[in-house]
Amino acid sequence: MKIKIAILSSSTINGIKEVLSAKCKEIGITSEILMGGYNQYNQEILDDNSKLYDFKPNLVILFIDTKSLLGDVFFNYYQLSEEEKNILFESHTKQIKLLADKVSRNLNCKVVLHNLEVPINSPLGIIDNKQKLGLIEFVKNINHEINKHYKENEKVFIFDYDLFCSKHGKENILDYKMYYLGDIKINFKYLPNLCEEYISYIKPLLLLTKKCIVLDLDNTMWGGVVGEDGLEGIKLGPTPEGRPYLEFQKHILSLFNRGIILAVNSKNNPEDALSVFRNHPHMILKENHFASIKINWNDKISNMKAIAKEINIGLDSIVFFDDDKLNREMIKTALPEVMVVDMPEDPSLYSKTLTGLNEFNSFNFSEEDRKKGQMYADQRKRQNFKETTKDITEYLKALNMVVTLEKANSFNIPRIAQLTQKTNQYTMTARRYFEEDIKRFSALADYLIFSAKVEDKFGDNGITGATIIKKSKKAWSVDTFLLSCRVMGRGVEEAMLARIIEEAQKEKVLTLIGEFIPTEKNIPAKDFYKKSGFKLIENKKNLKKWEFSVNKGYQYPKFIKIEKNGKTKKNIIQSS
Amino acid sequence: MEKLKKILSKVLKIDENSITEKTSPDTVDTWDSFNSLMLVSELENEFGVKFTIDEVVKIKNVGDIIEVLRKYKINI
Repeated sequence: MKIKIAILSSSTINGIKEVLSAKCKEIGITSEILMGGYNQYNQEILDDNSKLYDFKPNLVILFIDTKSLLGDVFFNYYQLSEEEKNILFESHTKQIKLLADKVSRNLNCKVVLHNLEVPINSPLGIIDNKQKLGLIEFVKNINHEINKHYKENEKVFIFDYDLFCSKHGKENILDYKMYYLGDIKINFKYLPNLCEEYISYIKPLLLLTKKCIVLDLDNTMWGGVVGEDGLEGIKLGPTPEGRPYLEFQKHILSLFNRGIILAVNSKNNPEDALSVFRNHPHMILKENHFASIKINWNDKISNMKAIAKEINIGLDSIVFFDDDKLNREMIKTALPEVMVVDMPEDPSLYSKTLTGLNEFNSFNFSEEDRKKGQMYADQRKRQNFKETTKDITEYLKALNMVVTLEKANSFNIPRIAQLTQKTNQYTMTARRYFEEDIKRFSALADYLIFSAKVEDKFGDNGITGATIIKKSKKAWSVDTFLLSCRVMGRGVEEAMLARIIEEAQKEKVLTLIGEFIPTEKNIPAKDFYKKSGFKLIENKKNLKKWEFSVNKGYQYPKFIKIEKNGKTKKNIIQSS
Repeated sequence: MEKLKKILSKVLKIDENSITEKTSPDTVDTWDSFNSLMLVSELENEFGVKFTIDEVVKIKNVGDIIEVLRKYKINI
């Protein structure tokens, strides 16, 4: 995997290149890094012919430091009149926005924009904050303004450098000697920490983030061994030795609530362990938070593989927590794709270890993302239910599915784009689109775009299907047709196709063309057009075209209740 | 001298055996102003000392480094 990074800064940042490229290498990324000239960031960004634009980076880091930006104002701030302070505030914020905006407009990249380190001293000392616009407030306001400006921006991300400095101690970050010797504003010692922060942006950029946390039980989720110490004997709850586990679970739950999938991999007697989930008064995590629960005497490696298979995610999406070093080594050796966390000996450090991970970042956060952990947990119940029903038709009927087919709108567009980016298995063409693309299409009259939201008796799967149709007078062509693998084989694809054909009939179109572009992974989608009564009309290696006569019509699956933009189909029929 | 040579060779990427008291930025291409600072940082960490800015500025060759370290009772 490769990445091109440009780092532009207002002071000496030698050393970052070496440390960052080593950090990239650790996680299997080859990096090419362009270091901007010393305090050249303005020219490099404003000059369209600079090497920055020639380099075409995937990531641009813009590191402007407070002292360089403020210059002598840093020292004589209170010599300025109120008006001058305001003008200065405007010009600094304007300039920073101008630079970041220009980079993000001219390059197809993400921009990591440092905010300013808030000074720890003011000449006015304890009454700095009594001034109309104090020095410290001045810097904070610039940060606030820039933060506000980029809230909705999908390309520019503010890196809270001030928070970073606070985390490590502002008195430690600046080594005065090095600063005077070489205008170095950050102590070499903290370069690895700074680069690790940059890695937090690189991981989601290259889709290297994790989706699932797999947990051991004894001495990981609670203290002690439930099989020996019993339900009352384990450490979990509001006592000094129980609180580390209690808080660890709360942190895990907060990740679940932001969409991280949870699973259990434990060597234990299932009755003992499950009774903790069911009966312990201080257990935060419950069975219904978990998408897969493997509590048995099998080895942890086969359990781990079974978990990945059951949830249908790659081993490389998993983070594993286990207090037992031996188990960790075993997984590391057998399944190197799994990220194994080096848990500290002392449980009071569990939460610190967990919250210090930068594995779960993403650049956007949709309603679907938030619910993902729950959706996967519901899937486990669905699976259990499937195993108890006799045949598939009976199962599908009993699911009480409701599919909402909704035309592209400002709410579902981000999710539709995300689905085109992420769906690999059930996709006819695997065409990848950005949010901007979908927005553009949806504004055109010759496109029909809609999403499919799937609910059933076990919960809400969220928006899990999408299709993009290119209209022309003679024929409509299915540019994109995809489903998340979670809802594959449940008739949702038929419901979506029925809707397309219904729309085509309304507009008196005769022919619908389905395109299929084979990839390494989209085998599950291969036969859908054939099964649905399409005729093969073009059979190239890289593109197959299927044709359907719209007049034939196409039935919605009987076991699915269809809703359109909030109204049920039944209602529409009754009213028309 | 062994420890010092190791640090010099690591930071400046030169052969340990080529290092003498006369080795200086004039004789080593990689000994630029930035690597001087890296060197200071490494020496401080390795020997557990903090140089003053005047001491750092005065260093012109390896011999000078040895002299400064001697001031901190570190005998090379």
